[in-house]
Amino acid sequence: MSQAWLRVAGGLAVFALIAVAGMTALAGPDFDDALDTFTLAMVVAIPAGVVAYALIEYLQTRRLDSITRQFDTRTLVLMPVAMALNIVLGTAVASALKIPIYLDSVGTILVAALAGPLAGAATGFLSNVIWTYLAPPPFQSPFAVPFAIVAVAVGLLAGTFARWGWLRPRRGASGQQLAIGSALSVGALVLMTVIALRAWRIADEGRDLAPHADETAFVILGWAAMLLVAGTAIGLVVLLVRWRDLAAAYILLAGVITGVVAAFIAAPIAAGLFGGVTGSGADFVVAAFRQAGADLEQAVLGQSLISDPVDKVITFFVVYLILGAMATRTIARFPQGEYLLPLPDAEDVADRDA
Amino acid sequence: MSRIATPSAGGPTAWHDLDPLTRLVVSVGTLVAAVLLTGVVCLLLLTLVAVLLPAALARQLRRVLVTGLLLALPLALSVIIVNVLFSIEGTVVASLGPLEITEEGIALAAEVVARVLTMAGAAVLFYVTTRPSELVASLQHHGVSARLTFVIHNGVAMIPRLAERAHEVTAAQRARGLDTEGNWLRRGRGVVAVAAPTVLSAVRETEMRTLALETRGFTRPGRPTVLRVPHDSSTQRVARWGVALALVLLTLARATGALPC
Repeated sequence: MSQAWLRVAGGLAVFALIAVAGMTALAGPDFDDALDTFTLAMVVAIPAGVVAYALIEYLQTRRLDSITRQFDTRTLVLMPVAMALNIVLGTAVASALKIPIYLDSVGTILVAALAGPLAGAATGFLSNVIWTYLAPPPFQSPFAVPFAIVAVAVGLLAGTFARWGWLRPRRGASGQQLAIGSALSVGALVLMTVIALRAWRIADEGRDLAPHADETAFVILGWAAMLLVAGTAIGLVVLLVRWRDLAAAYILLAGVITGVVAAFIAAPIAAGLFGGVTGSGADFVVAAFRQAGADLEQAVLGQSLISDPVDKVITFFVVYLILGAMATRTIARFPQGEYLLPLPDAEDVADRDA
Repeated sequence: MSRIATPSAGGPTAWHDLDPLTRLVVSVGTLVAAVLLTGVVCLLLLTLVAVLLPAALARQLRRVLVTGLLLALPLALSVIIVNVLFSIEGTVVASLGPLEITEEGIALAAEVVARVLTMAGAAVLFYVTTRPSELVASLQHHGVSARLTFVIHNGVAMIPRLAERAHEVTAAQRARGLDTEGNWLRRGRGVVAVAAPTVLSAVRETEMRTLALETRGFTRPGRPTVLRVPHDSSTQRVARWGVALALVLLTLARATGALPC
């Protein structure tokens, strides 16, 4: 095992150990308690995992190169722009457009993709802190800072996915590759939907997911919110076929995974501190679930499991478009830029060698 | 590193005279306490002690109240609507058509509104009494990396500039027929139409800014000179550690169920 893998494994082991120990020691008997404990465990386990990673690297090399490399001058200049993007777009979408998404992590995912997971996590964390304490009205939001841990998780995941090459353009894929990509995308989405459904059913002790209410309007609203997930997936599959870009499948997968993780961390914060609301268009979905018979925690989790994956898929897609519009040489200069560029064709490599 | 030991000019009030780090610790402490405490009475007491009294001391009571209420209003309204009108469990006290208002829903909404007001007040008090440049100078004085303070300071400065650019892009897109008031599909398309050009132009600027910084010695090792030294004192240092200790005790009390509210 290489030194890099050893420290990643060490960081993950500490994270998992603290998360599992915390959940085992503190979780109550019902689902709502377990959900609260999950968020608390993440608040402790995520920073502990990062510290363990840094400690192992320091012990191995007496330096922290893999961390400091993510914070070069170019990244430090991009981070303020990214933080401002998070705040301005997040405020605009929440206050003006009133749709049940947030779009407050475009900057976080952009920095994570270009510079690395820790740079992304730092951008997310600082965005939420500045949003609460230093952003000028009307952009100030006193309620952003409790969600900083969610932004950290989003940054870490996005940086990791970008490092795995999930945001690399893969245009001109063969029909067979596209078919496999589409099938895997749909499969991943179905899997995530099943997980969300199971979470919902556990929360609601076996009751069906379908919204129940005397008022037809709320039933329609509940279904419309759930159809957003399916609509986004279909849109990306269409893009996959039309653009013949296999990256759409990876974007879908990255967005859904990030969204589901963010939902599980954010839902107890929104429910416990703010009565399940965030002042955005997502509040209508919470109201629909409440009227449908769910208690507060269940309604917020239901809303988060619908809004967050859609939001993150859209955000990853926007970031992918931004990266596509940036000059190749600009992307290549960032610490993680090489993982965002298309792989050279076999013919190009042969020409270069010749 | 060199430091010019010139204290900054005194503030107009005793609150402004405090080190910005002390004000930040009070604000963060208030926010964390608002998270840990439950019950309207405790939260209102916290607001009185940690927000309203300092705001009065800083002669900013009116501004803190007005700005805090304006910031809290949208969330408070959502809290009331969702928790009072759509609360399903509890003792019904009134009905509005198919919607039932319960005692438990009202109690939860009151507590959350009190928490929202406390958090808004704490954040606004810090904002109206502290310039970002003051906080950055204080953080540098207390040993925070110049690179981190650069990111914070520039992040704050970038918000109005980016907002201005987003307004320009929105106006330009509206002139081309963008509909931001239509149905959800049109609004969704509107997000991309506004966000993409705003983001792209801002990202493209980073290349030039990077070159400008590097030619001015941004990457030079060592710490920059702190020109304005904040008014720190041993009393303030003790107070900051006191707030941290109080939060630890509050957390333990909450975890063990010893907290009365």
